[in-house]
Amino acid sequence: MIVTATMAALPSAARPFVWLLNALSVLFGGETQALEEDAVLKLVEQARAGDRAARQRLYRQHVQRVFRTVRGMLRSDAEAEDVTQDAMLTALTSLDRYSPRSGTRFAAWLTAIAVNTTRRRFRRRRPELTATGELPDVADPTGDIAADIDLTRQRAALLQALAELEPREREIVSLRYGSDLNASEIAAQLDMEAANVRKILERARVRLGERIEALGKSRGAAA
Amino acid sequence: MNDTELMNLWSALEPSGRQRARIETRVFDWLEASETSIAAEWLGLVKVEPLTALTYASVGVVSLILLTPVGWIVGWLVP
Repeated sequence: MIVTATMAALPSAARPFVWLLNALSVLFGGETQALEEDAVLKLVEQARAGDRAARQRLYRQHVQRVFRTVRGMLRSDAEAEDVTQDAMLTALTSLDRYSPRSGTRFAAWLTAIAVNTTRRRFRRRRPELTATGELPDVADPTGDIAADIDLTRQRAALLQALAELEPREREIVSLRYGSDLNASEIAAQLDMEAANVRKILERARVRLGERIEALGKSRGAAA
Repeated sequence: MNDTELMNLWSALEPSGRQRARIETRVFDWLEASETSIAAEWLGLVKVEPLTALTYASVGVVSLILLTPVGWIVGWLVP
C-alpha cells in the first residue's frame, strides 16, 4: 500500500523496480496494490456468491493491514498472529453481515472486528503491555540486509514507544496509522467524539515522534 | 514526526513472509474444513480402491485354498 502511495513521487526509471517488488510480494503471499473501494465491494459480492479466488484476494488485500493494526495494540507477534487469524476468519465467514449502505468502508468494518477480537483477548488474559520489539522470524525475501536492519531498528523503536502510551492512545494511533482510518471512523469504532479522537491523536503523535527520535539517537550512539 | 512519516513507519509492523504464510494456511485450512460436509469426509474414508480390494480378495481365496487342506490334515493328526 505504501509502495503504491509513493509510486507517483518516484522517478520513472525506478518504477520497473517497484513493479518487480510488487510482483515478488504477490508471489510471496502479500498484495501491495491497494484496490479502490468499488473493486473491494465487487470482491465482497463475489466471495459471498461462493467465489473462492475472490475470497482469497479479499483476504490478501487486507491481512497485512489487520496485522499491523493489532500488532500496535498487542505485546507480541504471536498474539498478533492469533488475533489476525481470528479476525480474518470472523470477517470471511460473516461477509453477509457487511452492508456498504451503512456508509462504512469494508476496511473499517474489518478493523472493527479486529479491535473486538483484540478486546476479547484482553478480557480473557489481561496481558501486561510491554512490547519489546522482538525481531521478525524471517527477513523479507524482497529486501536487502541493510534495509532489513534499518526496518528492525525502526520496528523496535516504534514498539517501545507504543508500549509507553496509554492503552486508549495506543488503540487510536494503531487505528489511524495501521488501518488508515480517519478521526470520524475511529470515533465510531471506539464510541467517542471525533474531536476527542483528534485531540488524543495529536498528543499521541507528538509523544510517539519525540520518543522514537530519542530512541533512534540512543541506539545510533550505542551502535 | 508528521502523519505521513508515522504512516510509513507503521509498515515496519507488517508480518514477515513466514508469519503471513502461517496465518494464511491456518485461515484457509479452517475455511476448507468448515465447508467440507461430514458425509463427504466419511465417503472419503470408505472410498473403494479397486486394486487394493482385488489384492485382498485374491490373498483371501489363496489362503482358503491352501490352508483348508492343511487344517484337515492337522485335525486328523491331532486327536
